[in-house]
Amino acid sequence: MKFTCNKDLIIKEISIAQEIISSRNSISILSNVLLEADNNTLTIRATDLKVGFETKIPVEVAQSGSTTVFCDKFLSILRSLPDGDIEFSQKDDNRFIINPLFNKIDFQLKSINADKFPEIQDISDDNYFQLPQKELMDMIGQTVFAVSDDETRYYMNGVYLEHEDNTLSMVATDGRRLSFIKTIFDEENINFDPVIVPTKILHLVKKLSSGEGIIALAVTDNNIFVKFDNQKLSSNLIKGQFPNYKRVIPESQEYEVRINRLQVMEALKRVSLLVEQKSRRIFLNFIENSLIINSEESELGVAKEELECSFTGPETSIALNYQYLLDPLKVIDDEEVLIRFSGANKAITIVPTSEKDLFHIVMPMQLD
Amino acid sequence: MDAFYASVEQNDHPEYRGLPVIVGGASGKRGVVSACSYEARKFGIHSAMPATWAKRLCPHAIFVPVNMKRYQEVSRVIMNIFDDFTPEKIQISVDEAFLDMSGTERLFGPPEKTALLLKERVKTATGLTLSVGIAHNHLLAKLASDFDKPDGLVFVRKGEELAFLDRIDLKDIWGLGKKTLETLNAFNITTVKQLRETDISMLQKITGKAAGDFLYKASRGIDPGIHSERVKNRSISSEVTFEEDTRNIEGLHKTLLHLADQIMFRMLEQGYIGKTVFIKLRYSDFTTFTARQTLKHPLRSEEEIHRVALDLLKKKWDNHSLIRLIGLGVSSLEKKDSHQQIELFSDAADQHSKVENAVQIIRSKGRNIKKASLIPPHKNGL
Repeated sequence: MKFTCNKDLIIKEISIAQEIISSRNSISILSNVLLEADNNTLTIRATDLKVGFETKIPVEVAQSGSTTVFCDKFLSILRSLPDGDIEFSQKDDNRFIINPLFNKIDFQLKSINADKFPEIQDISDDNYFQLPQKELMDMIGQTVFAVSDDETRYYMNGVYLEHEDNTLSMVATDGRRLSFIKTIFDEENINFDPVIVPTKILHLVKKLSSGEGIIALAVTDNNIFVKFDNQKLSSNLIKGQFPNYKRVIPESQEYEVRINRLQVMEALKRVSLLVEQKSRRIFLNFIENSLIINSEESELGVAKEELECSFTGPETSIALNYQYLLDPLKVIDDEEVLIRFSGANKAITIVPTSEKDLFHIVMPMQLD
Repeated sequence: MDAFYASVEQNDHPEYRGLPVIVGGASGKRGVVSACSYEARKFGIHSAMPATWAKRLCPHAIFVPVNMKRYQEVSRVIMNIFDDFTPEKIQISVDEAFLDMSGTERLFGPPEKTALLLKERVKTATGLTLSVGIAHNHLLAKLASDFDKPDGLVFVRKGEELAFLDRIDLKDIWGLGKKTLETLNAFNITTVKQLRETDISMLQKITGKAAGDFLYKASRGIDPGIHSERVKNRSISSEVTFEEDTRNIEGLHKTLLHLADQIMFRMLEQGYIGKTVFIKLRYSDFTTFTARQTLKHPLRSEEEIHRVALDLLKKKWDNHSLIRLIGLGVSSLEKKDSHQQIELFSDAADQHSKVENAVQIIRSKGRNIKKASLIPPHKNGL
């Protein structure tokens, strides 16, 4: 195998591969990245056995072939090299040679035969359905932060992807808050049962996507496949019973307040400076035409901020984890949001003012 | 309280009074002494001593099993009396508490008088004696309460701290462990006075930075803050020493369930929540291991504690080595407070938690209610 390629081009893809490879400590075939040169294309593959990644970049191939090298070191070497073209070649005795052109630098990296590399799951093209990249990014962005990182609740460690009638929805919850977004989806030939998608692949898709053009998805009982630009990602799914989320969506709430999103966020950030960081408990007090956000009196002191808002009704206090408010406010991009609530110990809902089909539910904390 | 568990037993069983009573290790075979009466202490018996030794030191001692439920019942009565004296109570164990009596002179009179009143009320209500230490900080009050047991009353006035401390054995300084004591002795520090005369940098050099600082303060009667409300790592645990070393996996699972049951109920009763489960294993050769796991959410039921305990056992034990002792506990406990996060979904753990809360209420009324799997099999078969 022998090929030549620009440093910047390959380094970008190898750093993604390294991100997929989780275990840096043990040197095994899984710490390696697969390189396959053929037909003036370099195919790069990496996997941690759960998530698989494949990308293709144009290179000048002098001799086709394939190999695998320790990704972590390969990346460090690439980063250390001067800008410009690099020639890569494979010697018979399991050595991978890295020679930057016009330089007297010679790296020989031990390699492992490509046929030892684990197979990455694949699926035929006719199983894929398409969505605008921007739409999928939006769905991921509105939900992925709400998943639980509690491994004992593994069934909440991913985003629930559900195809129902002509809609596609994503739901995430950690048991205390829940985020939901739905979009129109009318591919008639595609049908799959709801699945729980691990966050790793979603974060990767979000990071790697340009946000423009089309993204293709395929879902089976055990895997999800994503194709966009010249990249392919796949991941196994989380097996388990996602909670019956529909049951906890409030049918109707008594009060609705329209409020400036950035103003609430700024106020929360200020007041939270004096909030006890373990419980993160903050108080929302709705009184006629205003919202008072305050912290609890603590050893450090106390903070309070009053905001104008459209509220008419009896004075209502709700205690909650301020992070659960900030997270959804960050991802809604409208100037104003609606906050709906019914009382102190009932769920509150945050929705955008635009027509988007999404909402964020937050369970409060108990008042004293 | 004075020799609390043993005193409760003697009080409940008049026939034990005046006799050496040993709580724990009831079979006399294995297990350790949990507590012993003053009569038993005369024979050199002390808590944590293997029951077999105690038996050797005092063959005619009365061995009784630990009846934690009863001690907790009595403890509740006592703690309620304490609550009548001050709202500022910090309970540090089943039979010890700090009462902040600042500003109560007009209600109860001078400190000694208040202390006598307190002792009398506890005596009337439970028949038990306690030792009171009065001082202006936790450290001195604790040392004073230990100074003249049983039925003691020691008042360390301001200005008398050093004189009082010099009458205490170095080993009795609260929070000073065996290891540290050995280290100090090795440097010829054998009295509190000598400790006080040792330079702080020297102390820190020989015992470590934190311990040195602690000793420096303690020897001057300054409270290093061991038992202020901010005490961080509280835990509730329980352990069992088997009659015979075992590798019976089902038996171990059942023992863990039994321990989980005890721990969860003590947590509920005392109003604690915790996220960390730990197990302790002691093998035949006395090598001891512990393992712990911290969950992201507070443990809600004994089922959950049991499940984590089984995971830990699976990880730590080779399924083969003979086990002498197994222990289970929950650490990093916090007082369950009112501002709890409300959950969206009620899941199985919530259901268990509700059931256990209900059982707890029934038990606190003195009814005996337990899991069917914890009922020992009928001797003659069913």
